Amino acid sequence: MDAVVFAVLNGVIYGLLLFMVSAGLTLIFGMMGVLNFAHASFYMLGAYFAYALQGLVGFAGAVVLSTLLVGGVGVVVERGFLRRVHRHGHAHELLLTFGLSFIVAELVKLFFGNYPVDYRVPKALDFAAFAVGTQQYPVYRVLMGGIALLMFAAIYLLLTRTRIGIVVRAAIYRPRMVEALGHHVQLVFMGVFGIGAALAGLAGAVAGAFYTTNPNMALEIGVMVFVVVVVGGLGSLAGAMLASLLIGILTSLAVGVDASIADLAALVGAREWAQGIGGLLTLKLSSLAATIPFALMLLVLLLRPSGLMGERT
Amino acid sequence: MRVTTPMALLGVLLLAALPALLPAGLLNAAIQMLIAALFACAYSLLSGRAGMLSFGHAAYFGVGAFATVHAMKAFGGAGLLPTPLLPLVGALAGLGFGIVAGWFATQRSGTTFAMITLAIAELLHAIAPQLKGWFGGESGISTMRMPAWGLSFGSTQQVYYLALAWVLLSLALLYFHAATPMGRLTLALRENSHRLGFLGYDAHGLGVSAFALSAMLSGIAGSLQVVSNEAVNYVVFDAGVSAAVVLNSYIGGVGTFLGPALGAALMTFFSYAVSDATQSWLLYQGVLFVLVMMVLPGGLTGLVSTTARLVGRHGFAAVLPLALLALGAALLLSAGTVFVVEAVQRIFSQDYRSLARMAASLPPITMFAHAWQPAAASTWLVPAALLATGAAFAWSARARLAALTRGTESNALEAAAPAIS
Repeated sequence: MDAVVFAVLNGVIYGLLLFMVSAGLTLIFGMMGVLNFAHASFYMLGAYFAYALQGLVGFAGAVVLSTLLVGGVGVVVERGFLRRVHRHGHAHELLLTFGLSFIVAELVKLFFGNYPVDYRVPKALDFAAFAVGTQQYPVYRVLMGGIALLMFAAIYLLLTRTRIGIVVRAAIYRPRMVEALGHHVQLVFMGVFGIGAALAGLAGAVAGAFYTTNPNMALEIGVMVFVVVVVGGLGSLAGAMLASLLIGILTSLAVGVDASIADLAALVGAREWAQGIGGLLTLKLSSLAATIPFALMLLVLLLRPSGLMGERT
Repeated sequence: MRVTTPMALLGVLLLAALPALLPAGLLNAAIQMLIAALFACAYSLLSGRAGMLSFGHAAYFGVGAFATVHAMKAFGGAGLLPTPLLPLVGALAGLGFGIVAGWFATQRSGTTFAMITLAIAELLHAIAPQLKGWFGGESGISTMRMPAWGLSFGSTQQVYYLALAWVLLSLALLYFHAATPMGRLTLALRENSHRLGFLGYDAHGLGVSAFALSAMLSGIAGSLQVVSNEAVNYVVFDAGVSAAVVLNSYIGGVGTFLGPALGAALMTFFSYAVSDATQSWLLYQGVLFVLVMMVLPGGLTGLVSTTARLVGRHGFAAVLPLALLALGAALLLSAGTVFVVEAVQRIFSQDYRSLARMAASLPPITMFAHAWQPAAASTWLVPAALLATGAAFAWSARARLAALTRGTESNALEAAAPAIS
């Protein structure tokens, strides 16, 4: 029982982290119709910036500073790159961000080496928050979850309760009309892109210390985040939240399950047959945990192609 | 750039004569270039002709490769499947997997399609190391090429001709596909799939057909890779393989038939040529890709055809200084960038950092057979000068190009004016 509670808690925290990265991605997609391939690179940049700045300004300062820096990088990407190729269409923009993500990964390898760096949770935050049964639960995980929830609340309130939020939401649906009403839509786009990037950077700066910080982290979380936005529905913030939690909890629970399809077949007396076939049927669910999000995504696409909460097809 | 029949024949003859002209080491690189070229052409059928961006083409390449390695082990190069026919297995495996994956992926279009292809490839990449029986785990599966049809397939030369034959056959298939009604409809799918549906065509079926054909040719490429390397492991499913084919194709230019092949051959050759000299080749490739995306949407072959059009319109004499300026700018800017990247790579390497920690002052770094002082201003003046001159050249080339095209426009207006009045 304790193990299940533990796994669910870990899954929720991981899901909240996924949400922190996918929130910006899905907002940007909703506004500009561009799926930003380099979004996960912002996450990685956040972690590496914080690692590099940690010695100079301390952990908290490094997190704040790297969030701002990554937001700046996002603005540069939008203004200097994406806007220039906008007239060539969405496919071209997607390819450009793909190239940028490639360059960011190579630059990180150039400066920090092709191996994990020693970026870890500061001593002051490295203690147990509470105990589940006999196991201690680290306070840092709780902190990560808290930051993500705060962020969700902040974005939600900003989008639904302020004038800026109204303009942003209007710009998502009818950019030309909003422009005609005298709002600077280009500036709104740039702002949303920068804020989305900054959120990913914040997630990276916070999570990089807990998980590993290496040049592959962008690809690893990037693929997950794409799955999240497709499962949740492209452009839907609530869908991103739901899908993040679902994927986080599912993968976290699956790691602890030591059964295979052959065990399931045993219920109808077909264990021998399943073991004879081998391959996928005898593989333990725990070793398949990494593939569950992809299977979920294919399932969602079959049953509900616009995603769990998506409106657009 | 139109490819005429004599040009194509000349190209084939040149490729056939290559083993006589190249040393054995380079011939191996030539085989890799052929395989990369076929893979890029297969990719461009989907992304260029059918307009569906795939970010997971390594999956079909890898499936073809693993199917072939199993066939090689099972048949031992005898019976129904002698060594020269092995790529058929890769083709079949790619086709079969392509139909299944394509059926899923083409349910959606645009961005979601791209994400599904990425997820399918990552799914395979995640599951492959777990299935030791099929994919051989970390160490992979190795095998031997067996003699067949009186050929030993022991020499690189014979493997080269085998690869060349299959690549030419596949390219011919692709070329004729473009001429069939199905090929034309594939183009229509890219332009407007809704309209295609209204006209009564099965848009989803067409999408699956393009996807499956592309996967089949990728499978052949994977197959040839196995025949050449005699081994394969699950790293063929890596995202880097998918990324390389995207980069290669677009750098070459997906708009033309041979653009992707030329791009892939060029990139593979460079990665082979500079692999000893630099560790940052992938970075250069990424920068080149982004540059192409920003300023040359037609790719490098698009650049050639643009130049040809300029020469045709303004004459050789008018374009020559412009071309020289642009070439100079490109060389200077690349030299400056390479200098900075290589210097940074050396300064931030682990060895150098531990050296610097022990020494009192920063030790010099060796590049281009010269020791440079990292702290000295003179070191950094070199790339600064290169980049500044390159930028000046580029700016001047741009101004000339603008003047040239503006000139013709006003000429055309003057020519049209009497007709109007």
